[in-house]
Amino acid sequence: MLAYIVQRLIWLPVLLILISLVTFALGLYGPGDPVQVMMGLHTNPQIVEQVRQEYGFDQPFLVQYWNYITNALQGNFGYSLVKYQGQRVSDLIAKRLPITLQLNLVAILWSVPLGIALGIFAALKRKSWLDVFVRGVVILGISLPVIGLMPVLDFALSRKHELGALVIGPFLPPGGWRGIFAPHIIQPAFILGLGLLAVYTRQTRAAMIEVMSADYVRTARAKGLKEWMVVMRHALRNAWIPLITIIGFTLAGLFAGSFLVEQFYSIPGIGALAYESLLSKEYYVIMAFTLIAATVYVIINLIIDIAYAFVDPRIRYK
Amino acid sequence: MGNVLLDVRNLRTEFVTQDGVVHAVNGVTFALEEGETLGLVGESGSGKSVSMLTVMRLIPMPPGRIPSGEVIFQGQDLLKLSPEEMRQIRGNKIAMVFQDPMTSLNPVLTISTQITESLELHLGMSKDKARKRAVELLKMVNIPEAERRLDDYPHQFSGGMRQRVMIAMGLSCSPQLLIADEPTTALDVTIQAQITDIVKRLKSELGMAIIWITHDLGVIAGLADRINVMYSGYIVETAHTKEMFANPLHPYTVGLLGSIPRLDEGKKEKLTPIEGLPPDLVNMPTGCPFHDRCSFRTQKCLEENPPLMSVGVKHWSACWNYEAVREKRDEILHREILQPVTA
Repeated sequence: MLAYIVQRLIWLPVLLILISLVTFALGLYGPGDPVQVMMGLHTNPQIVEQVRQEYGFDQPFLVQYWNYITNALQGNFGYSLVKYQGQRVSDLIAKRLPITLQLNLVAILWSVPLGIALGIFAALKRKSWLDVFVRGVVILGISLPVIGLMPVLDFALSRKHELGALVIGPFLPPGGWRGIFAPHIIQPAFILGLGLLAVYTRQTRAAMIEVMSADYVRTARAKGLKEWMVVMRHALRNAWIPLITIIGFTLAGLFAGSFLVEQFYSIPGIGALAYESLLSKEYYVIMAFTLIAATVYVIINLIIDIAYAFVDPRIRYK
Repeated sequence: MGNVLLDVRNLRTEFVTQDGVVHAVNGVTFALEEGETLGLVGESGSGKSVSMLTVMRLIPMPPGRIPSGEVIFQGQDLLKLSPEEMRQIRGNKIAMVFQDPMTSLNPVLTISTQITESLELHLGMSKDKARKRAVELLKMVNIPEAERRLDDYPHQFSGGMRQRVMIAMGLSCSPQLLIADEPTTALDVTIQAQITDIVKRLKSELGMAIIWITHDLGVIAGLADRINVMYSGYIVETAHTKEMFANPLHPYTVGLLGSIPRLDEGKKEKLTPIEGLPPDLVNMPTGCPFHDRCSFRTQKCLEENPPLMSVGVKHWSACWNYEAVREKRDEILHREILQPVTA
């Protein structure tokens, strides 16, 4: 077990170096010149050149990379060049990230447990009306695009405004962020969770159906175990193995999964920050965002691998 | 011997599928005495496993259904019990060991958990007591270093050891009846012998009745007191083991015996396969289900399905032409004429 984790950990820095190299190269050689963006198009070329030297953009790639990485490791990801001029990128991210994390957390907390529970019930009551209903919800949840659902939901709720302003009024998000306990979080968290609900229900149902027809479940029944023991002890523990993968990616999505929703509801999270930075060519912000997102994914992957070993003894004792 | 432990009467099991109703078990009747060992022999799809899963009420319903039959176990009809009452019998009074030990043990639970859970549930043992009993059980099936192996997972055991663990699990609550569904089929021949030896020893020590399902007559020759031969959901012949080998009176049994390799035969003698395929269980032919593959076939076989007829001492065969089988079979089996066992 320990050897397995150590083996995984050795690969972690190698992967991170590769990711940062690719990210940095894309930022440096990708479209758009940060200096041009900063100075505007009609600037004296001499001044542009001067600024370029000042910022170190004239140095060789590896020197620039080294400087960037050593700074980044100390928490300095550079400064905003345009929109939030002069602000540290790390401050920007530190301010925005908690909002996204909270929003996503609320979405995950209502949808993932519900999805897993629905998936289990649908699998156990296969082909019953409950199963048919759940499958219908799943298909809707997967096929309705968030971008279409948001205005429709908003519109539907606003139309009823005259009827029950007191009831529905607080649930209409007028935009902005008022913390995790404000009712304004309900609509974006609902929209965000819908897709998760669908995915978790479907995956859990599929995993449970497969596991429930396994030979060892028949053995468990032949032993005269109570049905809940068969399901919770013998079946569900095996169903976790495929579920862990999507749980990992959902957790990774905590960080970056809500671009559209944040944009639509004017929630100043990190998704909105990344989107704004993209539009205004915020060189350092985008690079930092990409780097952090990729790092989060790599670390989550590591956690998934370790979690597999915890759930499945066949991996643990290899 | 004497008391009837399990009395199965006219048991039928069907499965509703998209292609139609599969008639898996078609009116099986037999009785098993306490401490008796019964061999249930037949090829794949002959209904031997399904009939026993029906006795255990482990048939998924739907698609399965049991249109008729009684399964009287210790005076109770198992088919009439509530699911909860049946659950208390399963693993406690009737235990079952399955074919493939690789997939029949739960890969994510320790052997200890898998053995002790039924002890705690059925016998109300404490965790400590159940653990001690589990060690005893593992020793009983010759698992070396039982205490140490208790917390291992199934993948850390070899196939033969896993099957022994399965048997230990089956015997944990000292059942009156152990149903073994081809427990040696997935194992090497030497391991097969180990398993049958262990079961034989445990049977003499513990005295439970056994139903041993197999497609291999050779495996149960030294094990079973009596043999039921099944074909397409029917019992086609039943007799005591010695009588069955000496005096088979159904063409299908003769065919099965002909396909066992024999050490005392010259190399030139080929095994005699049974030509053809078993009938489609959805569209069962009229008459005898075996008529299509039978060399003794007469017009009557096409028209009427033979019932089990008494053909000797505690010997029944479902063949209209069993007299002809008696005359010809030794020629077919390339063997000296054996005298039928008397009484």
